[in-house]
Amino acid sequence: MTVAAKHPARAPVRLRHRRSARRLSEGQLAELREAITQAQKIGDDRGYQYWAGIHGMPLPIYCQHGSELFLPWHRAYLYFFEKALQDRVPGVTLPWWDWRDHEEALPAAYARARTAGGKANPLYSSPIQPSGRRQADEKRTTRELQDVRLLPTAEQVRQVRANRDYFTFQTQLESLHNGVHGFVGGAGGAMSSVLISAYDPIFWAHHCMIDRLWYLWQLDHPGAQLPAAYLDQALPPFPMRVRDTLDVTALGYDYAAGTAAVPGPRRA
Amino acid sequence: MLDRFRSKPLELPDPEHRIDRVDLAFYDVDHSAGTFEARIFLGAPRNLRRDAGIDHPAYAGSFYVFGHDRCPGEEGHCHVPTDRDPFDLRLPHHLEPATALVTVTAAVERLGGAGKRKAAVDVIVHGPDGEALKALDFSHLRLLTYA
Repeated sequence: MTVAAKHPARAPVRLRHRRSARRLSEGQLAELREAITQAQKIGDDRGYQYWAGIHGMPLPIYCQHGSELFLPWHRAYLYFFEKALQDRVPGVTLPWWDWRDHEEALPAAYARARTAGGKANPLYSSPIQPSGRRQADEKRTTRELQDVRLLPTAEQVRQVRANRDYFTFQTQLESLHNGVHGFVGGAGGAMSSVLISAYDPIFWAHHCMIDRLWYLWQLDHPGAQLPAAYLDQALPPFPMRVRDTLDVTALGYDYAAGTAAVPGPRRA
Repeated sequence: MLDRFRSKPLELPDPEHRIDRVDLAFYDVDHSAGTFEARIFLGAPRNLRRDAGIDHPAYAGSFYVFGHDRCPGEEGHCHVPTDRDPFDLRLPHHLEPATALVTVTAAVERLGGAGKRKAAVDVIVHGPDGEALKALDFSHLRLLTYA
């Protein structure tokens, strides 16, 4: 079995597209905010706090870092979190933050405490449930943004994507990913800590970017092989193995920057 | 835990032979403490300044560690088991050490062009805010040359 992602083979209208966080329409952004807001109101295992807590605190720590499961585990994590959001707002998708654009530190949708309409922006910060806090008074996520020149460059990403070996690619992509966590979190913000980073709403956009780069690498290296034992590894707490994460179109989404579809003769 | 490290000199690939790629691999990297950037310098002078950056002639690349920050459990929670039962199908401990891989081809070619046959590796650790951070620990490093 190869690690290649298939080009979307299913009817294109059935796939949902994850879009750039900088290019969301007003409606798409409103839906994302609505989904997060609704999920924050649910205190059980459908809610935002439950999903954020899977990564680190409260224990157990499920996330995979410095591990060969880094990419597939986080792909599964995004998939189930996105499904939880779609239960709140059907059709909503997670956007990706292309941090190679050094013009501004964060996408505008995530950068301001208030929306254009003056409401609290649910993408700016999140509550942290008591069992998820490092200290009792750490009630919300905070950020300590660093110099934008510290973000990975397009050239660094190009070099990482040029790796032909999956495990080398994964190790080097994870390193770039680590730097972005530090860029947002600084010395004390949530994103700098494995334990609480997933509470910050930008976490999901950051990991979508990582997932997208893996997808693009899969398209670039369609013949790359993975050991069978690796493909069969489970990704707890998710009911998936590594092999179940390889084809994003089977998970119902795609990262195409743009699509256009017209009916064929059978449907016309 | 260290905030900087200088290795013994490593043998560099023979500049007479063509090289496609050179990686510097750090094995068993600890990620239990803070998040940091490890800035790598090859063939730097012993008095390399702590604030040396990507514009330094010996800069070779960086790797980044996403740290766990602290132990959220009780005593023993973050102790990585040293002996693993081959029938233990659970995932590895969350603090199982990692490998970091930095491609340093340009730096090695530069040193080879200058006639250097050996070079020490300097690692300087910066926390996300740029301050020194005692968070670096690894078992060994290796220069891997691909021709």
